[in-house]
Amino acid sequence: MSDAISVTGLVKAFGGTRALDGLDLVVGTGEVHGFLGPNGAGKSTTIRVLLGMLRADAGTARLLGGDPWADATELHRRLAYVPGDVTLWPHLSGGEVIDLLGRLRGGLDEGRRAELLERFDLDPRKKCRTYSKGNRQKVALIAALASDAELLILDEPTSGLDPLMEEVFRETVREGRRGGHRTVLLSSHILAEVETLCDRVTIIKDGRTVESGTLAGLRHLTRTSIQADLAAPPRGLADLPGVHGLRAEGERVWFDVDTDAMDTVLRRLTEAGVRGLISRPPTLEELFLRHYDRTGASGGRHVGAAR
Amino acid sequence: MTALTGTGPLVRLALRRERAIAPWWILLIVALGLAMVAYVNRNMGTDELKLTYIDIIRSNAFLQGLGGASVEPRLDVLATWRSGGFLYVASAFAAVMSVVRHTRREEDAGRSELVRSAVVSRQAQLTAAVLVAAGISLTAGLCTAVALIGAGLQPLGSFAYGAAVAAAGWVFAGLAAVAAQAARNARSATAIGLAALAAGHVMRYVADASGQQWPKYLSPIGWGHLVRPYQDERWWMLGVSIAAGAVLLAVAYRLLARRDLGAGLFPERLGRARAPELRGPISLAWRLHRSLLAKWAAGVAFFAAAAAGLSPLARDLLSRPSLVVDNIRSLLGMSGTLGAYSWYLILILAYAVALYPVLMILRLRAEETSGRAEAVQATPMTRLRWAAGHLVVTGLGTAALMAVAGLVFGTLYSLLAGDLTTDLPRFFAGALATVPAAWCVGAVCVLAYGLLPRACAAVSWTAWALTAALGQVAGPLYGQWGGSPLEPFHYVPNVFTATPADILPIAALLAVTAALLGGGLLCLRHRDFH
Repeated sequence: MSDAISVTGLVKAFGGTRALDGLDLVVGTGEVHGFLGPNGAGKSTTIRVLLGMLRADAGTARLLGGDPWADATELHRRLAYVPGDVTLWPHLSGGEVIDLLGRLRGGLDEGRRAELLERFDLDPRKKCRTYSKGNRQKVALIAALASDAELLILDEPTSGLDPLMEEVFRETVREGRRGGHRTVLLSSHILAEVETLCDRVTIIKDGRTVESGTLAGLRHLTRTSIQADLAAPPRGLADLPGVHGLRAEGERVWFDVDTDAMDTVLRRLTEAGVRGLISRPPTLEELFLRHYDRTGASGGRHVGAAR
Repeated sequence: MTALTGTGPLVRLALRRERAIAPWWILLIVALGLAMVAYVNRNMGTDELKLTYIDIIRSNAFLQGLGGASVEPRLDVLATWRSGGFLYVASAFAAVMSVVRHTRREEDAGRSELVRSAVVSRQAQLTAAVLVAAGISLTAGLCTAVALIGAGLQPLGSFAYGAAVAAAGWVFAGLAAVAAQAARNARSATAIGLAALAAGHVMRYVADASGQQWPKYLSPIGWGHLVRPYQDERWWMLGVSIAAGAVLLAVAYRLLARRDLGAGLFPERLGRARAPELRGPISLAWRLHRSLLAKWAAGVAFFAAAAAGLSPLARDLLSRPSLVVDNIRSLLGMSGTLGAYSWYLILILAYAVALYPVLMILRLRAEETSGRAEAVQATPMTRLRWAAGHLVVTGLGTAALMAVAGLVFGTLYSLLAGDLTTDLPRFFAGALATVPAAWCVGAVCVLAYGLLPRACAAVSWTAWALTAALGQVAGPLYGQWGGSPLEPFHYVPNVFTATPADILPIAALLAVTAALLGGGLLCLRHRDFH
């Protein structure tokens, strides 16, 4: 399977600040890829480099087998983009903008346009200046989704949408996947969205990739939270390797455990006699927070085998 | 796949957006061209009058600079002499605004990102903008030529004139294209374009006023005058403009090919980290609008200086028979003194300055529609205090502008043709006496803003345009509607002349202004805020 996007060692500096500092990103064809990172991590800069609007200072970027800067126009025929902050021409109506963007991309599916207008509940006759942020977002989404692009680049596409419309968005992305030929790069802060939609995720911070892999693969890297009611006060738990943040109140204990230490720890618990056990896998949110909080980014870790 | 990909739809988009703007520019250019033909016919009907007029022009450097040095006593030459100075500049101005509007302003607004993510070449937006701007210039030039032929002028000269008008737009479209690549943002791109236009105009003006021809050949605006329509039609000068525009455009494409979206050649400057003096509505309004006031003050000072520069000529002029001067004199009820002339110029400046409060009220409305006012009013600052802050800056700013006009005009006039101790206070008082009338125009806009926010822009512009058109400036020029009692400046007492001024009209104007302001603010307080 060839990759729709492959970026290695990407560097982009604005004056003295390095917005991208050796970023890596690989998105396989047909997958929905979550692109996560705190504000200012370089998500939008990466996307703009991929769209050929910024020229990278170093590193390589390939998009659909082409060079994003040199072949920009040719590549844009095959992709559709929704910016995070959609601004439209105040005096044009939403319908006019959808047609314009569709025409610029080389035509759009009329039936699909009508269907999406219906599903997103958008009145295309209103002038863009009267639209709320969510409605402007819908205009850009409909224009992108009504196209037959093989790659969708979505920069926080649901910001401003209500939960109902978020669900409509998820449905349309899932439907697009069923065809199996459409790749989606989804930059988002809404982790539930990423968890339900994405096959793989890449987490970046300070312009570098800190994690990349399937959600299952990433979960291997993190800890499971455990709460246990024991028959007798636990002994020696704290000394076990892989146990973190142990807290005990009488016979009840709370702690986090590394995935590879799980077996040993559970054995020790059953020795003490387990009366009750609650185990929670790490959520994407915890994964996310762990990396957001971590000071001094690592050089980037990959779970390449997970794919 | 070519560099032109996507240009077609973008041209259509630009035309769709220009549909409410470009026709006005074209109308303005054609109307000015025709108005000057009518003006010459009305005021200089006979060859004798024309010769007198030429004599007047030749005897004064400022007038000579106004429309170019080479003028002949013929209707077509005189009419284009009068309109040329405006038409080339108007055409160039429209082109600068149009190119920046469809290139850099789109980038700043974030819309270029959306557009360029489609199958659109990197050059397409610039190409579309330049095509549309050039198209507007060309249409304006062509319409001017056709209108002048319709008015009975000779076809060959009319086409040369129209072509020169179009060529000025073309050169400045190219210049704006470069500025849009090099500048930090759309605002500075517009500033660079307009500064170049001003420099071109000043160079041309200086060349004609001084009789030194070489600065004229360096100025793109000068190239238009050098075509010499109706005289010997130097078509090759059009080639210079076309070539210069093409070279500039080539430079713009080179710059475009190597820069990032949203970035210019110069990096964005940093602002201050703190704002200790930004506390209340007045300091906020001052911070937001001080640069506009500074630009206005510079412009007013420039024109006041030019008006003073004309005063030695006016002295000579008063001894000659002239329909225009007689009209002015009789309307203003003055004897043939320099006073009438100076008061007339102060009024011209006052009518122009009355536009300042109008623009400021439109900015108030823009604060509201952009949602910025919403953010401010979400704090304990009330809507009335927010509006009052803007109005204080507007009112004091208007007064300051007229003070600048009076000071500069008075000082220079005293040095050239008068006496500092008596003339300066006279000019200063005369200029300040017009302030309540200018406030009154602004107050009409405030009422419109409070009562009919959606129609605010239309009502405001109309209020100012009617004031100027019905007023004492346009009236005497065309010998009609002079000094209509429907406009506030009609009631401005002539403090300028020695007769003791009547305070009553000023008090009445202030009362009307206060009533309009109060009504506007009351409506604003009770209406929905969008």
